[in-house]
Amino acid sequence: MIEIRRERFLRLELPYREHLTVERAVFRGGSGPRVAVVSGVHGDELEGLYVCHRLAARLEALAAERPDALRGQVELYPALNPLGLDTLERRVPIYGVDLNRVFPGHPEGIVPQRLAHATLAALEGAELVIDIHASNVYLREIPQVRISRSFEEKLVPLARRMNLDLVWIHEAVTVLENTIAHSLNDRGVPCLVAEMGVGMRVTPAYAEQMVTGILHVWRELGVLDPALELEAAEHEPLVADDDNVVYLNAETSGMFVACVEHWKEVRRGDLLGRIVSPLRGELLEEVRSPVAGVLFTLREYPLVYEGSLLARIMWTEAPA
Amino acid sequence: MSPVLLDMTAPTREDFHIPYHDVGPRDLPPRLALVAGLHGNELNGVFVLARLANFLHQVAAGGRPGAQLLGRVIVIPAVNVLGLNVRSRLWPFDGTDVNRMFPGYSKGETTQRIAHAVLEATAGAEWRVDVHSSNVDFEELPQVRLYDPSDEERRAARWLGLPAVIERPLSPTVSATLAHAWRAHGGRSLVLQVGQAGSLQQEHCERLFRALIDLLEQLGIVLGLRLAEPENDVHFFGPRQTFPLMSESAGWFVSRLEVGQWLQAGDLVGFVYDGFEGKPRGEIRAPVSGLLGGLRRQPLLCEGDLVARILTRQPFGPTADTYLEAQGQ
Repeated sequence: MIEIRRERFLRLELPYREHLTVERAVFRGGSGPRVAVVSGVHGDELEGLYVCHRLAARLEALAAERPDALRGQVELYPALNPLGLDTLERRVPIYGVDLNRVFPGHPEGIVPQRLAHATLAALEGAELVIDIHASNVYLREIPQVRISRSFEEKLVPLARRMNLDLVWIHEAVTVLENTIAHSLNDRGVPCLVAEMGVGMRVTPAYAEQMVTGILHVWRELGVLDPALELEAAEHEPLVADDDNVVYLNAETSGMFVACVEHWKEVRRGDLLGRIVSPLRGELLEEVRSPVAGVLFTLREYPLVYEGSLLARIMWTEAPA
Repeated sequence: MSPVLLDMTAPTREDFHIPYHDVGPRDLPPRLALVAGLHGNELNGVFVLARLANFLHQVAAGGRPGAQLLGRVIVIPAVNVLGLNVRSRLWPFDGTDVNRMFPGYSKGETTQRIAHAVLEATAGAEWRVDVHSSNVDFEELPQVRLYDPSDEERRAARWLGLPAVIERPLSPTVSATLAHAWRAHGGRSLVLQVGQAGSLQQEHCERLFRALIDLLEQLGIVLGLRLAEPENDVHFFGPRQTFPLMSESAGWFVSRLEVGQWLQAGDLVGFVYDGFEGKPRGEIRAPVSGLLGGLRRQPLLCEGDLVARILTRQPFGPTADTYLEAQGQ
């Protein structure tokens, strides 16, 4: 028996008539582990909302066909920044605050702090939280998990089983201590930060890949019946860290037009794209790979300023 | 020709720069660096620094009889030039906050490059001042903010003659600000909060201008300029002496108060009306006595919004610290 409920876990009054409400979907099976997926912390990132939909569809199908297969409890929090999502704004509207920089929040603070606090309170005690991001409107990312060095030991083994293409272990950064992931990990709730796709768009193939990975991890954790048959998880991640990732930033301003596919092996000196001027036929900059490696971030939004990030490559062969 | 901090190409328009003023003897290291407009909508500081630069150029050129400029002064009226022109707090192209990009990186993202250039130009100055103006919703009484200050900084804060000096611990997590980056370089720095973003408050601007002239005079950078002003009352407030007054209900907030007024506990701060029905929903009264250090100017109110900050003699509990940090400028 799977009990499916929609719950409102925060309701705040807005100045004129309306309320800001935040909802979750709860799928309660047996007394096994409790897990959650959160997304929509940034109002311009939609990939995670679609993953939540796909997971909800799988769980609803399970409720109809294999109601005994859900051994634990699953919670989906697709839209943590509902006002931002409704108004196409990355930050929390009115406040201009990045919700992922105000955790752990405060129950008596301003709206973004209350959102953060209520979210943490709701996730308390979960055995695994997956926080899905979709880069931003500028960059496209292959499905990956990012892990702070501080939580490496606990999280990398989980991340490796997520059916993703890359696990990126980065050094602990002070400004990231106010993220939802840091707050959860700090409180002993394991949280994986997944990044994939691009802002304001949905990439269905990535969503399916991630859904498969999430179901596999849940099955291993005992949230799902170990005997439940799942589609094969075929992706093995590469492991990147701050030592084997190079950043390519634009040397000049203009329009960046890529001439390679994303998620591709590149050789040193390969042409990745061109920066051109919309006013002249002239080529302003040829962007070439300084290393042999794998292109895992590629600029999607063509206009660039000097310094704009164009690509990130994990090198597989040490640079000369 | 003004010197430029950074010269950049733009995708579809002419190249742009961040210009600044370098006044006084150029063969010496700067005695003072003044920065405003990290946020493009904080206009008071930008206007006052531009006016002050003009004034200092006049002094340097001998156009102010009796006044002398002895030290070198760097003045950057606006860092976020594009933001100022399009009236945006953030760097408009990618929505990043320039004051969350320090210490910056000369080969990184655009705003990291800007931050790096600002730090390069100012870190070597003996004294530095970063001028802010809250945000578009809130008006701050002109004040000095000190973050884990030295005694010298405390003394200098008094020289400015602004009505309030507020000490706070340096936030461990809001660590990518210019004030933080300056701290890492040693030397002495002050952060000023003056008025409200999005418009110019003439009275605050005049006060800020006088304060900066007094600082220049006290530091011995200029001579013969001291304005004949009566000594202002300067009040010091410690880390637990800023009371944030929040509203528990949403609606319209209206107040007849002005920043800088002294309040008694129980005094009326403002009224809240229901947004649609128009009925009064309640009064907001001062829970503590003190100086009105900041007041909400945005009438639309959500649950939990800040309506005032009262600077109080009575230290109180730490509950509000997290809140204050999230508002960090």
